[in-house]
Amino acid sequence: MPLRTLRFYLNVIVLFALAGSCRSAAAADEPKPTVENTISIELGDPVPAQKFEHAPKFWIANVTDRSGNPQPLLVLKPRGGIFLDKQPTAIVKDALEQSLKATNLLAADEASADLVLRIYVFHFGLASGSGLDFFGKVEFSTMVKNHKSGESTEVKATGTSIANGAVRKKNLQKNVEDNIENALRDAIRNFLRGSQLKEAVVAWSKTSDVQPTAAPASANAAKPPSR
Amino acid sequence: MRIFTVALIAATFAVGASAAPKDETPQYKTAEAKHFTTAEGVELSPAFVDYFYAELRNELTKAKLVKEVIGEGETVDDADAPRSLVISGTVTEFKKGSVVKSALIGFGAGFKSLKMDADVLRLSDKQNLCAIHVHVKIDPRWNEKVMAKGAAHEMVKEMKKALAESTKTATADAGKPS
Repeated sequence: MPLRTLRFYLNVIVLFALAGSCRSAAAADEPKPTVENTISIELGDPVPAQKFEHAPKFWIANVTDRSGNPQPLLVLKPRGGIFLDKQPTAIVKDALEQSLKATNLLAADEASADLVLRIYVFHFGLASGSGLDFFGKVEFSTMVKNHKSGESTEVKATGTSIANGAVRKKNLQKNVEDNIENALRDAIRNFLRGSQLKEAVVAWSKTSDVQPTAAPASANAAKPPSR
Repeated sequence: MRIFTVALIAATFAVGASAAPKDETPQYKTAEAKHFTTAEGVELSPAFVDYFYAELRNELTKAKLVKEVIGEGETVDDADAPRSLVISGTVTEFKKGSVVKSALIGFGAGFKSLKMDADVLRLSDKQNLCAIHVHVKIDPRWNEKVMAKGAAHEMVKEMKKALAESTKTATADAGKPS
């Protein structure tokens, strides 16, 4: 074998070895979920819903992730990464169910529900902030479907929270966790107390022949609504 | 001499205690910040508007101007509506700035500039309580979100001042003999 060919093969081998080492180095930078870098997002106390004249029963049919995020569990990539312990869809569903159950607005099953909710999560976690702090954002849209008439209404909800940055990894993780929890709480509150949900419930009460449960409607009809 | 020192320290503490902020209850019950709109020709990303909304709510909470800061589109009890505020506004002008100008000339030349107009309305009767104009300038190398932070801070400061003045005027008018 001529010396030139041998040198060529040697160069090719070195090139492949270098490419391989670069790839493995890049793979090593990719954070992996461990017990230390995984956070659990809990709603805490349930969010009280607004008072409805005719309280319907809700049922969450499904929650779909529409964020387009290939790694929905990865909240923060730098510094070893911070991961969620559950899928954002599961967290949103649990939080909403918890709040609806606390105010006795959750139906036992889909058949007995008055309004069926289909939730589409558009954003869950951190969004791009100023760099000096963490900007937590939870955004979802819900299709509220009247079980009897089949009519649907869209209800949007957004929750935001801004928390301070941190230097130590432990504090960083705690701040991110608190920030996302606050944003989730804010979004659930925005949904349950929103005027869009109120309108959906009013539309449902008009179509269904429900009897007023609270004070007579004429007493409230005299007051102009705030919205 | 020792008595004088003790008296001086006591006087300092007394002045400090009297200057401490009073724990006043806020005049308004709720405040709802809306997403600001952008005027035609303003080249700002939708992420900026989102971040500004979050920062404005954060600053309102920090300023303790109201008891509760609610999200956009949330309902308020009819009883609380006269003591509820709605803040809406528009980004009227945004200049990207120039790093070259800023580096060569300095003294604020080439800075990023943002102008905003906001209206504070009372929820019950939609009465305009105050109109606020904010102009923020920052170094062109800085992120636009930093500008949002500064603008939100400035806006809440101006709002606090304007609401305090309008309250003072209203109190003075009420005190005048008819």
